[in-house]
Amino acid sequence: MDGPNSRQERAQARAPEMELIREAQAGSRAAFDALVRQYEQQVLRLALHLTGSEQDAEDIYQEAFLKAYRYIGNFRFECSFYTWIYRIVTNLCLDQLRRRKTRREDHAVVLDRSGDEIDLLASVSDDRSFSNPAKELDRKVLGQRIQLALGKLTPRERMVFELKHYQGLRLRTIGEMLHTTEETAKNTLFRATKKLRAQLADSR
Amino acid sequence: MNCEVAHERIVTAAYGELPDEQMHELERHIAGCQDCETEQQQLRALKMLLDADPVVEPPANLVARSRIRLEEALDALPPKGWFERFNLRMINNLAGLQAAPLAACLLLVAGAGAGCVGGYEFAQSRAAHAAASAAATLASEQAPSGPTEIANISGIVRQPNSEIVEVSYNQLVPHRIQGSLDDPGIRQLLMLASENSASAGVRDDSVGLMAAECRAGHGCQAAGIRDALMVALRYDKNASVRMKALKGLEPHVIEDVRVRDAVLEALLNDSDPRIRTEAIGVLQPVGADTSVRQVLHSIANTDRNPHIRTASMEVLSHMPEIQ
Repeated sequence: MDGPNSRQERAQARAPEMELIREAQAGSRAAFDALVRQYEQQVLRLALHLTGSEQDAEDIYQEAFLKAYRYIGNFRFECSFYTWIYRIVTNLCLDQLRRRKTRREDHAVVLDRSGDEIDLLASVSDDRSFSNPAKELDRKVLGQRIQLALGKLTPRERMVFELKHYQGLRLRTIGEMLHTTEETAKNTLFRATKKLRAQLADSR
Repeated sequence: MNCEVAHERIVTAAYGELPDEQMHELERHIAGCQDCETEQQQLRALKMLLDADPVVEPPANLVARSRIRLEEALDALPPKGWFERFNLRMINNLAGLQAAPLAACLLLVAGAGAGCVGGYEFAQSRAAHAAASAAATLASEQAPSGPTEIANISGIVRQPNSEIVEVSYNQLVPHRIQGSLDDPGIRQLLMLASENSASAGVRDDSVGLMAAECRAGHGCQAAGIRDALMVALRYDKNASVRMKALKGLEPHVIEDVRVRDAVLEALLNDSDPRIRTEAIGVLQPVGADTSVRQVLHSIANTDRNPHIRTASMEVLSHMPEIQ
């Protein structure tokens, strides 16, 4: 999450980070590796939650950092490096979501999460749910319904909602990442919540 | 505030992005609007519900796997060259310039101005120079008498404010030269013809003449005609030209090892059996040479042509007599 603490840490890390970026731009592989270490966790977290697939997340990670390596010379310190790298990642994720949407519409496949996701859902439940198979099943079904509802959003709505609700970014930053304004990001978020409420109306 | 605006602000507020003054306004509105209060509660419920599908930290092995894959891909990339880095630096510098549009404009204006002034000065001096030498030029360079002499027009420049036009053209004038075969100029032309002429007939003539000179012992120096004949023997496409070159080289096979090598190559590689047969004959005087014998042995065993195999065997069998 993008809490105030992590933001503060980033601000503190900014000065040495700029040095790293300059070195990477001058061709230093070690500096680039250090930048990868700094952001890989966040990149994977976003890609994994958005796509729900480790394989897709891994592919996005790979492609995003290869792109960053290739184009790091174009980075001009006009925005934070964090925004820049997120811009690459969100673009790749959007492509992935669009591809998936087309596939799903073609085959009417419902995104079904398996195995690991049960644990994932259980991790937020209270202890009693472990001893209550019926409740656990409820949670699994609920998780599936949430995924289904999120899947009904347009890729852009899904992205704005992800960045705001799950990743906790500011709307202004989201606008910057998606090459749009804060106002548009706000409207998109509003549309997304409306759709989600309609989708999940009878789950509550 | 109407309810539509309030609904939007409820979302913004729920995510902590509503400015304080709007927040108070919204609170006042909700306090008096049942509909909007329900809206707010529903949104809270949605947020709670969605927390059932939280963001999890990526598993450590996924991180490790991704990192290894990326490192492998980066290792496989060619290192960024100095040119690429230089380009990036230039692009970044240009971007810096964009950030200072006034300076960029000034630089552009100054550059353009200097270019104009310089160009004008240059044109002025050129025009003056051209006017001064125009008469002399016209006198020395005769105007073409007919269009047939002109190969092409390479440029037309009109001098400012005058009727004078400067036309640059190229002429294709055939020349003819007559001289003794011993004349270095003639020999130079013959050598040129043996290598460059598109016509096999011309090459044939030149090589034939040079070969005759060599056989007659007329100044067949190693660096001149002899080299040209060796080139013709090795590379000319026309068999008749190669044959003439071979005959011209015959007298030198004993004293010049390079000639011997060229003839051996012809014997091994030439596509024409007549040339290979002739080469055997040419090599007879140097049959004692080890390399010649080796080649003859190999030819006696492997040549496609039975006559050539027989001929080289014959030469080999006479070898003791020759020695």
